[in-house]
Amino acid sequence: MQEITDIVQIKHEVLKLTAEHAFAGNLYEQYEQIPYEMIPGIKPQFRCCVYREREIVRQRVRMAMGKLPNDVMYTDSDSTQVVHVIPCACEGCPISKITVTPNCQSCLAKKCVKACPFGAITSTPSGAVIDQTKCRKCGKCVAACPYNAIVEIERPCRRSCPVKAINMDENDIATIDPAKCVNCGACVVGCPFGAISDVSMMVSVIDALRDEKKEVVAMIAPAIEGQFGTDTLPQIKQAIRRLGFDDVYEVALGADMVAYSEAQELTERVGAGEKLTSSCCPAFVNLVRKHFPDLMKYVSTTVSPMVAVERYIRSLRPDVVTVFIGPCIAKKNEVMGSYVDEIDYALTFEELYAMMCAKGVEDITGDEEEYPEDATRYGKGFALSGGVTGAVNRVLEERGEKVDVKALKCNGAEECRKALMLLKAGRLPENFVEGMFCVGGCMGGPATLNELQKSKKVFESRLDGADSVVQNVEGKQLNKADIHRHN
Amino acid sequence: MDLMVCVGSSCHLNNSREIIGRFKELIAGHGLEDQVELKGSFCMGHCADEGVCVKFGDQVYGVTVDGIDEFFEKQVVGRLK
Repeated sequence: MQEITDIVQIKHEVLKLTAEHAFAGNLYEQYEQIPYEMIPGIKPQFRCCVYREREIVRQRVRMAMGKLPNDVMYTDSDSTQVVHVIPCACEGCPISKITVTPNCQSCLAKKCVKACPFGAITSTPSGAVIDQTKCRKCGKCVAACPYNAIVEIERPCRRSCPVKAINMDENDIATIDPAKCVNCGACVVGCPFGAISDVSMMVSVIDALRDEKKEVVAMIAPAIEGQFGTDTLPQIKQAIRRLGFDDVYEVALGADMVAYSEAQELTERVGAGEKLTSSCCPAFVNLVRKHFPDLMKYVSTTVSPMVAVERYIRSLRPDVVTVFIGPCIAKKNEVMGSYVDEIDYALTFEELYAMMCAKGVEDITGDEEEYPEDATRYGKGFALSGGVTGAVNRVLEERGEKVDVKALKCNGAEECRKALMLLKAGRLPENFVEGMFCVGGCMGGPATLNELQKSKKVFESRLDGADSVVQNVEGKQLNKADIHRHN
Repeated sequence: MDLMVCVGSSCHLNNSREIIGRFKELIAGHGLEDQVELKGSFCMGHCADEGVCVKFGDQVYGVTVDGIDEFFEKQVVGRLK
């Protein structure tokens, strides 16, 4: 746990110092100094020497500035890829997959030896020994041992990846296959050395905030409530304005629009005997697009709440710079890959907090100025697993639609993958799939500031917004906007 | 084909937003929505070049606000023919 905390701390420190220089307007002259500001002296804290530590910081500064680590160029890779390995930080974990532990009793049955189809296991007086040159990592011995003495160890990055997009190069350094990667960020959290991270658009956002001619608005994901302890939504909105944003909109308002539209779609599809999946989670949509392309026809054509609220803002204020802020790494990929001509930037809560610290406005205090809440409790509910289903059902109920909805709430990548396999095989009994790639929903996202259990408690205690989605959407005339995707 | 425009911090200063806006107009104007997909890109490592980094096919170009129309005509429309 300590190691994880340190990783989060190092990432935060790099983002904060980069933001400080960007706010001061001297980043382009000073960025090479950041490794020395962070790590003075010659005593290393975590790695073999300060020189490696500074190199890792240097690569992290590059990522904070929107560049790739290690000067790798996007020649044959996908340039919308957000998640990257920092090669100098990767320890190339020397783990052989199947290992005998001291639990081995050197028993007479020798089930492991008999189970191995490759003759890789020999029994010695001190226990079973696996010949790693013969082992094909089939796992039969693991299952066979009556003492559970043989274990399968996988590198944490590979184990964390739900789509098997991580491989090793010839030096055992992790590499990511952008053709498979859905940019969910699970490996960013999963690597115990912090050797995988996400590229940031933070510096461009700060440049826009410093430009007095530009009007910059923030669009905050509903998962923000609970990230800053018990601070209320109006207080958080105020703190974000202190960074220089001209206005703050709730993405939950876009979620109301999405629920309204998806309920319509669902009525039509179910009426025609077809099935529908949600489309708000970008990692889930990437999973369908990259791993189940034939199923794209089932994905709702309604855009995500981020895009919906952006189109609403754009219809009122055509020239503003729009910045999404959320717990999600895949959102950056959604913006870059599909909406670069509509949405300007996407930030994470980690980056937001680093900017607040850099500007000295991280203490969210005092007066709850009047920033009325924009959305219903159902729109806000999109932040948690089950929220989309709840909101869509609410719209159907309000409209008095008699639709026989059988929803499957997929909580996390594994459940999403299983549902899509069934759908592909034509054996899915449900007719609506809610795909949430992170366990718990967005509040369990990879770029959150607070543990899910803690933030969820605060979040749920605040679910007191208006409760008619139809009234909110029609009252604000949000149903007039075109919120379907065209690609 | 993907038309990728860098939105990294250096290209941002060279007006990548304006370039994206103009590309959107040019794609619509030529009716190429089905053939050209406009995407963003993180830094492609050509920051020293003139203008904003734009990748089309395997080639990376430096595109300026003044030269964008000519670039589009020559490299995008030209290559798609």
